[in-house]
Amino acid sequence: MQEQSPPVLAAIDIGSNTIHIVVACCQPDTLDIIEDQVELVRIGESVTATGAVSPEKRDAAIDVLHRYRALAEQHSAEQIFTVATEAIRKASNSDEFLEEIKRETGLEVLLISGNAEATLSFYGATYEESKQPDAPVRIAVMDLGGGSTELVTARNMHITWRTSLPIGSGWLHDRYLPGDPPTPDDLSVARTFLRTYLQGIRIKPQPPKLIVTGGSANSLLLVARQAFRLDPSSNRLTYDDLMRCEGLMSAFPAEEISLRYRQPIGRARILPAGALIMREVMSRLNLHEISVSPHGIREGVLLAYARYGESWLERVNEETSPTTLSAGTSHEKAAIPGGEPEEEFVQAGQRMLRERVEKLLDWRDEVLRNEDIEAVHKMRVATRRLRATLDAFETCCEPEQFKRVYRRIKKMADLLGSARDTDVMVQGLRTQIEQIVERPEEEIAGLQWLIQRLDTYRRQRQRTLADFFKRLDEKDLKKQVESCIRKGDLSDGES
Amino acid sequence: MAKARPITGLDAHAPTGRNARIIARIRLDELYDWSRYVDDAYHGRELHNLRIAAKRLRYTLEIFEAVLPDACVSIVKELEMIQEELGALHDSDVMIALLRLCLGGQDGSTVSDQTISHPGEKIALPPELVADVVEPAVAPIAEERYGLEQFLLRCQRNHEEQFNTFQQHWRRLQARDFRHEVLSILEA
Repeated sequence: MQEQSPPVLAAIDIGSNTIHIVVACCQPDTLDIIEDQVELVRIGESVTATGAVSPEKRDAAIDVLHRYRALAEQHSAEQIFTVATEAIRKASNSDEFLEEIKRETGLEVLLISGNAEATLSFYGATYEESKQPDAPVRIAVMDLGGGSTELVTARNMHITWRTSLPIGSGWLHDRYLPGDPPTPDDLSVARTFLRTYLQGIRIKPQPPKLIVTGGSANSLLLVARQAFRLDPSSNRLTYDDLMRCEGLMSAFPAEEISLRYRQPIGRARILPAGALIMREVMSRLNLHEISVSPHGIREGVLLAYARYGESWLERVNEETSPTTLSAGTSHEKAAIPGGEPEEEFVQAGQRMLRERVEKLLDWRDEVLRNEDIEAVHKMRVATRRLRATLDAFETCCEPEQFKRVYRRIKKMADLLGSARDTDVMVQGLRTQIEQIVERPEEEIAGLQWLIQRLDTYRRQRQRTLADFFKRLDEKDLKKQVESCIRKGDLSDGES
Repeated sequence: MAKARPITGLDAHAPTGRNARIIARIRLDELYDWSRYVDDAYHGRELHNLRIAAKRLRYTLEIFEAVLPDACVSIVKELEMIQEELGALHDSDVMIALLRLCLGGQDGSTVSDQTISHPGEKIALPPELVADVVEPAVAPIAEERYGLEQFLLRCQRNHEEQFNTFQQHWRRLQARDFRHEVLSILEA
């Protein structure tokens, strides 16, 4: 019997920055992409400025959608799915806009929720990763759009948490970075805004791997590959790469960036904002690098339809409901009984110790810089987590090696602790002074005397910390921690 | 700070989730071992150990989050709250000890044991800090001393309030049998 060929479907995504189409032969876990086109319309620009989709943007969008419909029909697409996201969700005239599209192009547009958008982006961005034999247990996806940013975390490809932030590269550009190139002051204000905003979001657990999708992320990857001669076959960007991108875009106007790196001018204008958002999210998640995926919401729509048929959007909405999220649902991998990955305890120990010591050492430079008292606190917490991990895996460790490592980490924790405890005391005293309005002057004088003593002591502590961390041999510490686990147990486990 | 209780009964080749539950149960026992001091505000060191035990249980649940039931998130929240309440109490204990040291030390009283004692309470201060604040060359003048005395009284009042907040929270947890709740979640 002849095998039935998979259906050709098209998905169009009307975003804040772009209108994007993908035409593909679709199966539940595989897409064979035939067409992938994008137009930068920046509908979000008019929504940010006036609250509505302007007539110019409406006409431009309808023009693009006419062409996309013809393109889908040219490939005999059986169905065309059109979804709209943040800019249209926000627009005061969204109903009129969507009706006009239907009247002019015959395309019925689904205005999806931020959470559905996050889930669909997750499907699209991870479908290649999920087929890899070494797919990570915990993963996160960020869809950096023009008007919003979707963040999803997952365990064994089950979504465990997601959120939609009303911040995108176009939005940040329009609100905070109007200069071309952006001025250092504007960049600093935008960075402070992002940092404050992201600090308020509780992301638990912090994923070890982040896949970023969206037009700005893909353009930044292309720019970084050309500008810094990165490996063209790698889809990874480091924190430093993004910092260099930011430097490049602060030095040259958008037109120059557009010419040098073959980017549409509209895209070049919003890239500094995209780089800033990516860098701040990485910083918030303590990640050094990210992977960039060319796939996103459109591929997610096609996969959802191939998996669930006509009720695809209902299923996606169900999957994003809080009750389903906590239970976890997945179509990509069979659930492991009890929800436990099959990792052996001893192997988990080796991995977790390695991860913990790396996270700990990530704070070393910031502690040495001594610009933000939070660095000492974060590093101290990292020593505690490493010690908790060592305590948990003690039975798998060589006793002598375990003691040596434990002592070393404890010494580090004590040094950080004495600095941190002093910071807390000084902060507490300063707050007291600020709150003292009706208190006697003597009390303020007493508090100031104590702050002065503590400041002197804190400076001594910083010198001790600096001496300690300058001498610290990171490679040696990593090696010592990693070699804690008994070799015999490990080889048994791997056999 | 009390040492973490060694974990026994683990199988290096068992699934991580099984061992994580054993470790969490032992950390829970440790927490409840220190809970006999929850009614005495002057057992500063023991309450500090209770806080450390809460922290160890919390870190255990966090580092093994991927293999433990999702409902552990609610336990972690309670533990964070206990930790914060006991942390504030400990900070007050340290500040009170430091103020007493500043005020006592300037009177020429001995600070050689580097601790400040009160009935049932013994809070250790780092020796370098002790040496620094009792340095005669920088002793507070009369006005500053008076201010420190006033602040000490304020800290003692705060300490009482902080202890009451923690105690009420603990009683609420007892009323709903938090220990059993944690065990049930771990067994799920």
